[in-house]
Amino acid sequence: MSQQAQRSDEVTLPAPEESLLAVRDLDAGYGDLQVLSDVDMDVGDGEYVVIVGPNGAGKSTVMKSVFGLTTYMGGRVIFDGTDISQRSPDQIIHEGIGYVPQNENVFGSLSVRENLEMGAYILDEVPEDQIERIYDRFPILRERSTQKAGTLSGGQQQMLAMGRALMLDPDLLLLDEPSAGLAPDLVTEMFDRIDTINDDGTAVLMVEQNAKEALRRCDRGYVLVQGQNRYQDAGETLLNDQQVRQDFLGG
Amino acid sequence: MSIVDTVADSRRLFVERPGTAAIGAVVGFLLLDLVVKLAGTSVFFLGFKLLGGALTVSSLASMVLDGILVGLAVGLAGIGLSMTYSILDFANFAHGDTVTAGAFIGWVAAYVVGGLGTGASLADLFMFDSGQQLSALTALAPVLLGLVVAGVGTVAVVLLVDRLTYRPMRDAGNISLLIASIGVALAMRYIIAFVFGTQTSGVATSGVQFVLLDLAGQRAVTITDNELALLVVAVALMLGVHLLLQRTKLGKAMRAMADNEDLALVSGIPTERVIRLTWILGGGLAGVGGYLLVLESGTISFNFGWILLLLIFAAVIVGGIGSIYGAMAGGVLIGLVDSLALIWLPSGLTRAAAFLVLIVVLLLRPSGIFGGVTTA
Repeated sequence: MSQQAQRSDEVTLPAPEESLLAVRDLDAGYGDLQVLSDVDMDVGDGEYVVIVGPNGAGKSTVMKSVFGLTTYMGGRVIFDGTDISQRSPDQIIHEGIGYVPQNENVFGSLSVRENLEMGAYILDEVPEDQIERIYDRFPILRERSTQKAGTLSGGQQQMLAMGRALMLDPDLLLLDEPSAGLAPDLVTEMFDRIDTINDDGTAVLMVEQNAKEALRRCDRGYVLVQGQNRYQDAGETLLNDQQVRQDFLGG
Repeated sequence: MSIVDTVADSRRLFVERPGTAAIGAVVGFLLLDLVVKLAGTSVFFLGFKLLGGALTVSSLASMVLDGILVGLAVGLAGIGLSMTYSILDFANFAHGDTVTAGAFIGWVAAYVVGGLGTGASLADLFMFDSGQQLSALTALAPVLLGLVVAGVGTVAVVLLVDRLTYRPMRDAGNISLLIASIGVALAMRYIIAFVFGTQTSGVATSGVQFVLLDLAGQRAVTITDNELALLVVAVALMLGVHLLLQRTKLGKAMRAMADNEDLALVSGIPTERVIRLTWILGGGLAGVGGYLLVLESGTISFNFGWILLLLIFAAVIVGGIGSIYGAMAGGVLIGLVDSLALIWLPSGLTRAAAFLVLIVVLLLRPSGIFGGVTTA
């Protein structure tokens, strides 16, 4: 039942206007250090896309670059028809992208509610209805709303981090290893929650260590190696490709 | 709990935490000594005076009041130092001279307005040379005006300094910023010395004294109108800072940025605006703190803020650097220690006592009293 996944160098890319997010020939890194070269990536409207690959492949760097947190060295990042490749995070947040960093992704000394308020800082008024929607999605946050975020458990902090990123109701959510550091039973719960967010219409671009589970659930996946595209295909196809399994998914 | 238990407990304390126990023993001895002193007797052992001396309840109360007053002003000045540390990530050595600058700006305004119509020349008034002394009660309008000018003027100075020196090097390391701040400190101090000279000028004196406690046979405990003004303004401003940080959007953003600057950036918080607010708030409070200290002490000189800086640092570090509430609490604690140390030490050594307390607190709680629970 082995299926062949498409190698990235054999794929014809869609026109950038057809995707919600289109990354083309992106070169980026940190300072003088180039990490990504010629990376192409697409996320369609409401699509659920996962980036997998070995350590140091530049997976997180792709997401940081989309969000304007790296040094731009060339190429294009087009979101909803607009080139955002050289914009700063506080400009990009206005375009409708939410970003959840991997570590230290809540304000520990602020209350749960204040964390959510910070997620909507760019709005003039605190959007009470959106806070309510986040509380409905993550009821534990309502219970803990006055508690300091630093006192929450790891799983609860991860929910709060997502809640903060969802405050502006983004079209695209960037998730950097959302299951990192979570207990195994919580990992499944976290993936279920991401499924729900995606089912409600938010496109997701995610980097995940837990590659098999992520590929099983996503629409499409990219395999990134040494800062370059290697494979891209439907999640299931990547999972069933002999070569991909052997080289990147531990057999 | 029986006595046997208590003894066993304290023995365990000595074995498990000798440092804490030793400090507890010293504090216990000092308290016992204080009680004996207040009783007005002395305890001798083998001809040596072990405990005691003479101290009246009234003079103790005066010392406590003094310590709180100085502590409040130090705490007010410390808020800015703590905020620049947590939000801009560097120890600002120019903060003491910012305090001086605020005091001069405010007092020039108060003195000139207070002296108008007395026949003194404007130049004399500007240089504090007319011989008049202001008090909060007898010259309420000029003193209040000076207070406002001290705050606003210091904000202007601080924003100018940020624009000229710190902003071009925002991404530089904190050591570079620290060294730049030493340069700023020297520049500010000697600009003030150049304009006003290096002498100490008397500008304020108490107008009225209110009796707080009058025990028979002892000197009454009093508070002057100037001290009362310091107390009221400092407490009101601290309350204001608290409300700003807890209730307003920008205040919450300041706490968020102190907490995690990267996350603040990806949340869309305008970091440069928060930095500007940090300078405005910290600078304004430092200027007002300096102005109030001069109101309380009566004299002003070009380097009093610089001399005060170590005490401000001590207050901020005791409270937990980065914590605004720590700066307030640390200020009062250091002020009290500085004042109460007079009971046991000659007056030249009270500063040493303040730093000793700093060291002891850091040994017991390395991150300071409020460290680890930072709220901005």
